[in-house]
Amino acid sequence: MSGALAVPRPVGLDDLTRDRTGHVVRRTWFDRAMRWLLPLLYLVAILPILDLVYWVARGALPSLSLATLTTNPSPGVGSGGGLYAPLVGSVAILAVATGVALALGFLGGLATAEYLDERSAGIVRVTANIMAGTPSIVLGLFGYIAFVTFFGWGPSLAAAGVTLGIFMTPYIFRAADLAYSSVPSHIREAAVGAGARPIQYLLRVASPIALPQVLSGVFLAMAIGVGETAPIYLTTTAVELPPLGLFAPASALPLYIWSGFETGLVLPSAIALAYEAAFLLLVIVVGLNILVRLIAARARRRLEGLFQ
Amino acid sequence: MTVAIVLTLLGASHFQNFGSAFFGFSYGSWGIMTFVVGSFLTSIPALAIAMLVGLGVAIASTTYLPKVLAAWLDPFVDLLAGIPSIVYGLWGLLVIAPYFGTTVFPWSTGHLSWIPGFAPAKFAPTPGIGTSLALAIVILTLMILPITTVLMRDALKSVPRDLWESGLALGATPWEVTRRVALPYAKRGVWGAAFLGFGRAIGETVAVFMVIDQIERLPVNIYSGTSTMASLIIGTFDNALLTNSYGHEYLHYLAELAIVLLAITLAVNVAGRWLIRRTYTEVAGL
Repeated sequence: MSGALAVPRPVGLDDLTRDRTGHVVRRTWFDRAMRWLLPLLYLVAILPILDLVYWVARGALPSLSLATLTTNPSPGVGSGGGLYAPLVGSVAILAVATGVALALGFLGGLATAEYLDERSAGIVRVTANIMAGTPSIVLGLFGYIAFVTFFGWGPSLAAAGVTLGIFMTPYIFRAADLAYSSVPSHIREAAVGAGARPIQYLLRVASPIALPQVLSGVFLAMAIGVGETAPIYLTTTAVELPPLGLFAPASALPLYIWSGFETGLVLPSAIALAYEAAFLLLVIVVGLNILVRLIAARARRRLEGLFQ
Repeated sequence: MTVAIVLTLLGASHFQNFGSAFFGFSYGSWGIMTFVVGSFLTSIPALAIAMLVGLGVAIASTTYLPKVLAAWLDPFVDLLAGIPSIVYGLWGLLVIAPYFGTTVFPWSTGHLSWIPGFAPAKFAPTPGIGTSLALAIVILTLMILPITTVLMRDALKSVPRDLWESGLALGATPWEVTRRVALPYAKRGVWGAAFLGFGRAIGETVAVFMVIDQIERLPVNIYSGTSTMASLIIGTFDNALLTNSYGHEYLHYLAELAIVLLAITLAVNVAGRWLIRRTYTEVAGL
């Protein structure tokens, strides 16, 4: 760019000019050093994740098989078995949580974007953003006090699901709010001008445009929720069987790793199983993240089309 | 929306008879300061490293890397945010801790002992297992690196092209434009990233507990264990399950600790959101 200034300087320049040339050389070299050094910092961010994926895959793949996914963990500490119960439990907890988060977050976001006036919408948005920063352990303790003991649900699928649902709510809220807010105003004006009632506008005009974006937000919330350990640990217990009902304890993949950790992770079979659970979690999380990107990219393209 | 309030009320109903000892250092008489300090001792260094590295990555992404390369590399950084903390914890415990215990710590006790906290203590020799305050900081750094990076990248991306081009046209190098024009312009976003990253770090529970070698006291050096507020809650939660009066008392204690933690994160998040919101409106106003 300014490299041209760094050419060998002509002979016979007076001191002042020579100083200034040196100054330019120094500035240029500093810029060049930064050009090469700063991108190296990407390594600090990316190498650990590659190392993590490598070790988890290395620990999990040799023993991972279809049987791992279809057999229950054996009772007792680190005695092997499969991951059927934690897997089913994770799916069940996530289903309950997504239901709760959709009910709270989607309706909340919809109401904020469509019905609230500017001022109260602003307040609700700030509240939701701040809620998203609540430490999950605090929510977990809240879930324990409220659902497990106060409501008397005990350590159960319901308690864990609702707690996790509250944790996921702000993410879905944000997605729904953003999606409905970003429907172009000329579309609304056209719908209203054509005589659409508000409910018709909402269902027939705004929702088809906004829903894909909401969906990507839901998947993102699920990707974040499925790996959470702290809220689940306090609201359900790790068991060797799939959940028997809404108010029965349900295991989960992160919970399974955690209970493995609590019992020491000494036996090779326990370590392998923990790695397998971690590997499954990674696959689920990365898969959901890719889904989020695909859907979001499609939704963005469609939205851009609307502006033309 | 009301959850935060409900939680506060629930905890407040338990707020009883802990008195001034609550803000003291004695765990035995229900003091919380040990864990507040422990939380800051892990979060602040992690945040400092994550901010420096994150700033470097953000500048590289917006200033130096070709657009195509940045578009390929940045999703990797974003993906880092998606890794569940239990997986970080497992990896930290099984892979990084042994490496730290056998390679890094022997080296750092030998060569870096002039830094306060890096010298081995007489009554707490270097643990060969590697789980320690230092490892917790390292894992925490990796965990908050994506959020600080992404927020600072957004802040730098929001710098108007005009400012950039006028800087370059004046003969400034790209580095000088970044340093003197873009960074001052994106200052609020950078501060916002620091606050939100700190909020994330101080609330991190599972991974920290797995690698911190939890003991309910302050660390003597970076090789010793300690506990943070969050890790204490998850680590000693079993005490609260006891049905005797100690168990009840302990649950109240944890609830109050959770309220203190919540208050800190709320304050930090409000500040961070406020700073970042202002950045956006400034951009929109231009």
